[in-house]
Amino acid sequence: MIKKTFRVEGMHCSNCPMEVEGIEDDLPGIKQVSASYQKGQMVVEFDESRVTDAQIIAAVEKRGYQAFPA
Amino acid sequence: MNQLLVAFITGVTTGGLSCLAVQGGLLASSLENQLEQQLDQQIEQEIAARRAHRSGKKRERILARPRLAMPILLFLVAKLAAYTLLGLLLGALGSVLQLNATTRAILLIAIGIFMVGNALRMFNVHPIFRYFSIEPPKFITRYIRRKAKNGGNSFAPLFLGALTVFIPCGVTQAMMAVAVGTGSPLLGAALMFAFILGTSPVFFVVAYLTMQLGARLEKWFMRFVAIVLLILGLVSVNNGLSLVGSPLSVQNLTSALFQPGPASNPVASAPPSNTLSLSASNSGYSPRRLYALAGQPILLNIVTENTYSCARDFVIQAIGVEKLLPQTGTVPVNIPAQVAGTIMRFSCSMGMYTGEIVFTQ
Repeated sequence: MIKKTFRVEGMHCSNCPMEVEGIEDDLPGIKQVSASYQKGQMVVEFDESRVTDAQIIAAVEKRGYQAFPA
Repeated sequence: MNQLLVAFITGVTTGGLSCLAVQGGLLASSLENQLEQQLDQQIEQEIAARRAHRSGKKRERILARPRLAMPILLFLVAKLAAYTLLGLLLGALGSVLQLNATTRAILLIAIGIFMVGNALRMFNVHPIFRYFSIEPPKFITRYIRRKAKNGGNSFAPLFLGALTVFIPCGVTQAMMAVAVGTGSPLLGAALMFAFILGTSPVFFVVAYLTMQLGARLEKWFMRFVAIVLLILGLVSVNNGLSLVGSPLSVQNLTSALFQPGPASNPVASAPPSNTLSLSASNSGYSPRRLYALAGQPILLNIVTENTYSCARDFVIQAIGVEKLLPQTGTVPVNIPAQVAGTIMRFSCSMGMYTGEIVFTQ
C-alpha cells in the first residue's frame, strides 16, 4: 500500500470531495481516498500492484473532475 | 394549553418572516450546496445523454428543475427538533443559558463574516474563501455516500437547520425567555415546539417561492444566492456592530454624517430633560434620538403598546442594560449621570432597530 497526493480541479463546493471520494467504490485496489475542497487535492491510499495512477486519474475524470499527480 | 396556542399563533403571524430574515442565510448556504450538487448531476446526465445520442440511442429529457422542497423541509425539521431540545434545556436550566448582548453581537458578526466569505467563495474571488465552506466530517460523508447513493446530500440542510438554534431572531428570543419562565422542561420544550411549528409554514412558503423563482434563472441562480448571502452577511455584521453600539454601524455612521437639526427632526426637538420617554413599537424606536441633561441621573421610560417585534428586547450595551419589555406597558430604566457630549446608543437585541441618547448641558 502506498499513499499518493493528487491535485484535483473542478471541485467548487463542500459536497464535491464526497463525490471524488466515490472512486473508492469504483476501483477495488483503492483502500481510502481523502479529498479536500479547501486544499483542492486528494490523498489516495492504494495497492500499486492492482491500481495505477492513470486508472485513478481516469476514475476521477469519469466523476466530472480533473486529477493530476501533485 | 392556552400558552401553547399563543406561542403557535405568534409563530405563524410574526415568527416566520422574522426568522427568515435572520436565518435565511444559513438556509441559502444549505440550498446552495444542494443546488450545486444537483447541477453537477444534471451535467453528468447531459454528458451521458450526448454520448447516447451519438451512439444512436434515443436522448432522454434532462431534469431541469432542482428539487428544493426536500432540503427546505429537512432544514425546518432539524430546526424544529433543535429548538424543542433547547426549550427542554431552557425550561430545566433557566436563565443560565441566555446569551448576553455582547455574546450575541460577536455571534452576529461571526455569522455575517461567514456569509460574506461564502458569497465571495461562490464568486470565485480567491481560493482562500473555500475555507468558509462547511465540510462535513469524513466519517459522516462516507456513511452518507454508502447509505444514500441515490439521494441528495441531506446532511447540510439538517446540520444547518439545527445550527439556527444559535441565531434566534428577536421574536424567538422573546419566546425563549417565556420558555425559561415556565420552569418546566416539558412545558419549555412544548412551548418552543409550538412556536417553531407556527413559524415553519411561512418560512417554507417564502423560502420555496424565492428559491423556485431563482431556479428558473438556472445559471444565474448561483450568483443570485451569492448576492443574497452577501447582503444578509453585511446586514448581520452591521446588526452586530449596532448591538455593541459601535460608531461603525451604518445607522450610526449616517447619523453622524447627517445629524438632523431640531428643525428637520421635530420628534427629537424636545429640550434636554432628566426624564425621557421612548416608544418601542413594531417598527422600531421613536424618537430615534433623545436629548438628555448631562451630569445628572436620567430616567428613561420605555413605552410599548401591542408591540410584538424584537424592539421588545431592549439593549443599552454601554451600561449593560438588557430588558425584555411587556407587549403593552411602561418600563423605567435608570441611566447614571453622563458627561456632556456623550452619545449613548441603544438597540433591539438583534441590532435591527437602533437609536441614541445625546447628553447636553
